[in-house]
This record gives sequence, structure tokens and C-alpha cells, in this order.
Amino acid sequence: MTALDFGSVPERVELYLRELFWQRVNPLLLCFDAGWELRDVRGDAAHYGLDGNDPGQGVQTLRDLFIGLPLHEPQDVPFVELANGRSAHLHLIPDGDIFYVLMLDADTERDRRRVQQQLGHEEALASQAKTKAIGQLKQIRSELERQHSRLEEAHALKNALIATLSHEFRTPLTSIFGYLQLAERRAGDEPAMREALHAVRRNASYLFTLAENLLEYGRGESTAPLLNPTPVDLESLTRDLDAMFRPLAEEKGLEFRVALKLDEVAEPVFDEIRLRQILVNLLSNAVRYTRRGEVTAEIVWRAQTLGIDITDTGIGIAAAHRDGVFVPFNRGGHAGSKGAGLGLSIVKRMVEQMHGTLAFDSEVGRGSSFRVMLPRARERPAAHADDAIAPRFWLQGRSILVADDDSDVAHLLEALLGDLGFRVRVVADAQSAVLEAMAGRPDVLLIDVELSGLSGNAAVYKLRSRGYKGRIVTLSATATAEAREAALRAGADHYLTKPLNVEQFVHVMQQAASTGWSGENHEPDDA
Amino acid sequence: MTATAHKLCMIGDFGVGKTSLVSRFVHSTFSEKYLTTIGVKVDSKEVALAGRAPCKLVLWDIAGKSHLDALNMTYLRGASALLLVADGTRERSLHAALNLLMQSRTLLPDAAIVLAVNKLDLVEQWEVAPAALNELRRTLPVHETSARSGEGVEAVFADIATRLTS
Repeated sequence: MTALDFGSVPERVELYLRELFWQRVNPLLLCFDAGWELRDVRGDAAHYGLDGNDPGQGVQTLRDLFIGLPLHEPQDVPFVELANGRSAHLHLIPDGDIFYVLMLDADTERDRRRVQQQLGHEEALASQAKTKAIGQLKQIRSELERQHSRLEEAHALKNALIATLSHEFRTPLTSIFGYLQLAERRAGDEPAMREALHAVRRNASYLFTLAENLLEYGRGESTAPLLNPTPVDLESLTRDLDAMFRPLAEEKGLEFRVALKLDEVAEPVFDEIRLRQILVNLLSNAVRYTRRGEVTAEIVWRAQTLGIDITDTGIGIAAAHRDGVFVPFNRGGHAGSKGAGLGLSIVKRMVEQMHGTLAFDSEVGRGSSFRVMLPRARERPAAHADDAIAPRFWLQGRSILVADDDSDVAHLLEALLGDLGFRVRVVADAQSAVLEAMAGRPDVLLIDVELSGLSGNAAVYKLRSRGYKGRIVTLSATATAEAREAALRAGADHYLTKPLNVEQFVHVMQQAASTGWSGENHEPDDA
Repeated sequence: MTATAHKLCMIGDFGVGKTSLVSRFVHSTFSEKYLTTIGVKVDSKEVALAGRAPCKLVLWDIAGKSHLDALNMTYLRGASALLLVADGTRERSLHAALNLLMQSRTLLPDAAIVLAVNKLDLVEQWEVAPAALNELRRTLPVHETSARSGEGVEAVFADIATRLTS
């Protein structure tokens, strides 16, 4: 095969090639002397954005393109986008005292490359965005998990509140029972008085049961039970039950019996409060849901096990409701019943905590029978909870820089912080906040996120990226986890939302001021 | 007084906002649309500095790459300054900028070099941590910029001009 070169190409083909090349590259040749004085122009100057009548005007632009490059050496600068949007390959060709600048059209090639490159870049950006989105989804998931655990905490808090309140009920109720007994003894045969006292006892008894149940419910199912096993005087317990329920039963015309059988020589050891509550709850239900007939309780201490049988001839529980009997706040078991619906669920929980068993039989209209078996417990000292000590901080003389462009809010913050003992300085924009914080090093910077112009987050970022170590609290009207996360990521230590919760605000300010510049650790805190 | 012209090359990964920074600085405009740069686009602007001779920056907006290839090397020849550009929302673009810095140092040992971390208006989405920039500032002038809002744009070019005229 013969090599193809200019000399071997037929004249007609060579001519064709020349025309084709000329047409496609549309060359423009400019000739300059060593001082960039334009000597000659050949070609379509207007095509390259140069004034066809005065191409010298665009010389400065061309000159800029060769800054720093030696003019005595050939130069090749491909794909230069010109002022008129066209793309050209630029060549500098030295020739003795003069040099040429040759411009060749690169539009077609530029456009072809741009389409490919644009696609590639957009694809890469989309892929990065996708990776980021997946990461964000994972974050959302872990945020949901965090929220779930927060809900659990809130649930525990609610339980603790119930427990505290119900605990507070117990002391006065105990006193009420004591005085009731005294009053009943002294009331003599006065029927109206006796009736009134019975009513008080009945209702106080109900309140007592409710308080005890709430107390137990408040301990929470997930909390490991703190059992307090001690030797139990079963005879005394039986007497108490009789004293508590006999009057209520007799008032309804019911026969009431409590029997105790002691067939075991070993001392019975149980968590007495729980044992008492199991008995009270079961008897309370039995008396409440029995209109006629009898309620009996049989307590047997035998073979290291305490057996409890509570039987009544009451309304009974329909088969359809049997499964829900032990669900908290479920009152479907006894139609038309009053009460919180906690009693049986608590009995079940306590029996389980005490490693016992619970079973029941019931027939609508004929009555119910509950059977509890509790194994003897081993004595154990009671656990003690640690007391948390709330920290107190002294803010007098601490400095704070407030950045908020809403003058009303700024005044409010100034007043609040002044009351807390801070020396307050207020600025209205983020840029000033950055400058003042860097110069003045306040103990705390309180900055609004939604500032006009540079945002609060951007200002915080700029400070942190310059090594600013002071405490920063951001304030925002956006109460979302994402907004909070973004603010903390930018470098804030605390994130507060509007409207201000004053208590939380004070707490956060105390916390921030207490660490101030001395704290090198800038792990954000939860606010 | 005639301003001395200095060639300033802008390099960085694709999509970090080099073209947008030039548009903001030279024409005070911004476009949301992303259009990839092919080759190079050259623009210029004179910068007035207090107490100094005026300085003309000839801005070479070079097609985005995470590393320097032969073509980009061609464009860098004769440059007095380099503006490395990264996108704060893409940490890897900062790595790319630092990679470009290492590569270009051998080619342009005396060039003034400044880093612009762009897209400050999207600071909530930034992957680049403030501590990382604080660390970088020990060895490199760093500016946070936003071509969209204009924040920090004048400052970064003024910084380069100052370095070129001092």
C-alpha cells in the first residue's frame, strides 16, 4: 500500500481537501511586529468577533491570551472561548522580527465535546447526589430511631410523673383511713352518720386502689422491677383485707370470707407491697362486680408457695373479652364498669415480676375465679437510686454578642440576657457578628439563623473555619431536626427555636456561659 | 496609569462554580444553569487597590478537572496566580483542588495561590467541615465564597490582586 501525502494526492483531490479544510477551520491570520503592532489581517475577522473594519481593536484581547508566554517560540492554545461565544484554536507562529497569530474555528468540535462532557458531568453529579441522598436516608432512619428512643424516654418520664403523683396520694389516704376508723367507732348508732362514713370509706378505698395501681403502672413495664422481699405476716395481712373489704361487701349485701391456711413452717418472704396490691386489686374487682351472692378469698401458704384463690358470684367475663382482661386501661371485660381498667393488668405484671402464675375461670352471670401461685422469694436489700445534682452557674459579668436583624427580638434578648447578668452587645447582621466576635471574643455569641444577607449559619461556619473557639448559640424559627443538624454542623454548640421557651433559653445560656472560651471541646450539646 | 496584566488561572473539579465566579466578578451576573466549560474561557477585569498601582486580572477559566492533564498544563503556562476552586457541598472537590495544587506547584513554583470554597449560600449542605478549612488556612489563603449571592467574591480576587502587586 502506498503512503498518502500531499505530493501523491491527485490535484483534484488536493483541491477538494483544501476547500474542505478552509471551509471547516475558517482561518484568520494576523501578523504582528514584536511590539504587538498589527501589520496585516487575512481572513474573516468578524467570524472571531473582531471588527472587520478595525480588527486592531481586538488586539488587546489576543495579547492577554499570550501573557507570560515567550513570543519567539511557537504557541498552541486550543479551544479558547472568544468574547462572541465562538471557540477557536489559537496558534502563535514566530517568524524573525514578526509573528503570526493564526485562529482556526473549533466550534463544531467544541459543541460535540460539550454534549459528551455535559452528559458525563451531569451523570457524575447525579450519582454523587444519589449517594448523598442514600446517606441522608440513612440519617433519617437513625433520626427516627433516635426519636423512637426519645419517645420511650418521654414515656418513662410520664410513668415517673404518675408514680410520683400516686405516691403523693398514699400518705394522705393512709391518714384518711386511720381517721375513718376512729370516726366510725365514735359515730355510734347514728344511721345518717354511719352511712356517710361508709360512703367516704368506699370512695377513699377506691382512690387508694387507684393510687396504688397508678404507682405500679408508673414504674413502667420496661423497668426492671425493684422487688423488696421481706418476711410477711400473713395473719395480719388477712385481717387487713377483711377490715378493708368486709364493710364494702356487707354494704352490698354480699357474703364475704377470707380464709388463711398455714401448712408450711418456713417464714413466708415476699415483696409485701406487691402482694398486698395483688390481693387488693383482685378483691376490689370481685366486690365491685358482684351484685349478689358471695366473695371469698382463700390464702394458702404451703410447700414454699403462696396460693391465692379469689372467687365471686359476680357478672363474669364474656369469652370475647377474656384476652383483653389483662390489657391496661381495657374496661371491656366488665361491661358498664367504672374504674381505670388498670387493676388486672397490674396484677398480671406483679405476678410475673414475682415469678408466679395467674389463671382465671369465668362464666357470664355466674362469676369469676382468679388463682395466683407465688413462690417464696429470697430476701434482698433494697436498691437506692442516685440523686442527680443540678449544676448552678454564675453569669454576672459574662459577655454576649447578639446578632439579630429584628430590632424587637434583639431588644427582648438584650433585656433577658441583661437580667441574667450578661454584658450584652447587639449587632444587626452576620458580617458584623463575624468581625465583632473575632475581635471581641465574647463568652457567648447568640446569632439568628435567618439573617438577611449572609445567613447565621454561614457566619458561624466562617468563624469556626477561622478557628473561633467561643460558644455559639443559634436561634431559628425552623424547628426541624434537619435545620438543627445543619446549624450544629456549621459549628454552633446549641440550637434554640422561636418562639423562645424562656426556661430552656436560660438553661442553654447558663450552659454556654459556663464553658465559654475555656472549653476547648466543641462537641455540640443537645438543647 | 496602565494596569499591569496578570494571568490568573482558575482550576478545580467540574461543577464547583469557576465560570460562575468569573461571571459574578466580571459581569455581576449568575445563572442557575450548569454549562460545562470546554477548553478555556478568558476574561479580564481591572482591580483597584488602595495605595497600589491598578492591576488587571486576565482570568483563565479552565475546564473542570480533578487532575491536571496535558491540555490543562498548556493553559497554565505563563500564569502568575492560581485560584483553586472547590465546592463546599462536595468534599471530594476539595480533595481535587488540593491535588491540583500539588500538581501545579512544580509547573508554577512562584505563582500566588488562593483557595476559594464556593457555594456558601448552601452552607447547610456543606460536607467540608469548618475545622478542615481552619487547618488549611495554616498553609493556604482560604476564602468562602458564593457566586450566587456574591458573598466573598470581590474579596477573593482582591486578595489575589494584593498578592500579585505586593
